[in-house]
Amino acid sequence: MRVATRAGSCPPTPVAEPGAVTHSLLAMGHDVRDVRALAEKICRAFIDGLDIDGAAISLHTASELRETLYASDAISDLLEELQFTLGEGACMDAARTGHPVLAPDMSDIEESTRWPVYAQAVVDQAGVGAVFALPLQWATINLGVLDLHRKAAGSLPVAQLRDAIGAADIAALMLLGLRTDPGEERVWDRSWGNRIEIHQATGMVVAQLDISATDAFARLRAYAYVEHRLLGDVARDVVARRLRFTEET
Amino acid sequence: MNEADSSRQALLSRAFVELADTLVDDFDVIDLLDRLAGYCVELLEADAAGILLADTQRNLRVVASTNEQTEWMELLQLQSDEGPCVDCFRAAAAVSIADLDEAADRWPRFAAALADRESYRSVHALPLRLRGEPIGALNLFHRRPGPMSPADLALGQALADVATIGILSERAINRGEVLNEQLQTALNSRVIIEQAKGVLAERGGITMDAAFDRLRSYSRNNNLKLSDVGRQIIQSDLAAAVLAGRAVRTSVPRRS
Repeated sequence: MRVATRAGSCPPTPVAEPGAVTHSLLAMGHDVRDVRALAEKICRAFIDGLDIDGAAISLHTASELRETLYASDAISDLLEELQFTLGEGACMDAARTGHPVLAPDMSDIEESTRWPVYAQAVVDQAGVGAVFALPLQWATINLGVLDLHRKAAGSLPVAQLRDAIGAADIAALMLLGLRTDPGEERVWDRSWGNRIEIHQATGMVVAQLDISATDAFARLRAYAYVEHRLLGDVARDVVARRLRFTEET
Repeated sequence: MNEADSSRQALLSRAFVELADTLVDDFDVIDLLDRLAGYCVELLEADAAGILLADTQRNLRVVASTNEQTEWMELLQLQSDEGPCVDCFRAAAAVSIADLDEAADRWPRFAAALADRESYRSVHALPLRLRGEPIGALNLFHRRPGPMSPADLALGQALADVATIGILSERAINRGEVLNEQLQTALNSRVIIEQAKGVLAERGGITMDAAFDRLRSYSRNNNLKLSDVGRQIIQSDLAAAVLAGRAVRTSVPRRS
């Protein structure tokens, strides 16, 4: 069986350079220490870089506590409020499944079947045609959901969507960084995403202290900060069992 | 056909049948890539194999490896910066290094890391491509120096193509937007699996390799996705059941 992946009439989709949103998040610096200010900056980057009219970031925790960190305008605010009240909607689904939820045409029958009340309300009360909800997550940790909307219905261009999905990953690292910040100069670091030793060490500390992954990661960072060591080196020591975390560490 | 050829034929048939069987609704893409890496080792007489996928910022990240130990995976991961894998990805074409001793100038960090850890002498990287566009690469390592035969390279590429199809068809596909989501989901699943390996390694006092074995057996025996089992290991207390190989699936309170 030789599968011809080169064949086909579709032109290649270029694996583009980082898009506008990704670029502006990476250029944002590493020192924003207020979560609402950070949420605003993230939303602004998405609005400036994509064909959308508004953005909001809300927290969805396991205890079902929901809170909007930032909404760019009254309509974004209303969209968050509608979902919290109705208990259904794109960002609720994104939070629950961990997958992006794309609803390019809210008046479509598919969307009204998915969210009978919400879809109707989005169109009638908010006058919004398209909603794109991106989960902000790191492994099992849900750091919030980014809700993007546009008045006119229609999909985002593929390049913009790719940019949005990649940028959501960076936004998640920024929020994780803030949540686990020991007071370091750099609140977050983009290299966290692909550091195998850091992920494994996080899991080991979860088991050593019986705490959540967020708390375990925070403990690793705090230790590295206090000991003036690199996070990767501390993680490697944990994995090699040269370092163990106890209540007193 | 001699005996070795016919047993290889049998293995090859079995590989493709099993891989085709894996492509059912809502299958586990990480499990598929793990099986593929395993078949590469058996069919191509490689000593290790790894699969890396590109994230939306074009950084290569490890998603499957026949060796789940931290150091080895870190070495694979090193190739997000330099090495045959990233060259293969950038050119969307195979890169064959018959003798790594001769590649030290080209990739000094990669060659040094490899020499430090394992005595692999040759490496071949084959692209994962969608319509000519690279999405990742398959890495094959051999302890013996020397080139792979054209027939083996063609078979390796066919396996790499199966990997691509697997990633794409995890859910309904054919639009670029879905491809990016699939890749991102696969990469996030891998992070969950690494954290879960850490929990199991600590609780069971076992190696990362053994931890992955337990996670994989439990997932396959209970017909669950590796990342779903991993999630439960991290968030609740499935670790004991996985370590014991028990089929316990009661829900337990989550850690806050």
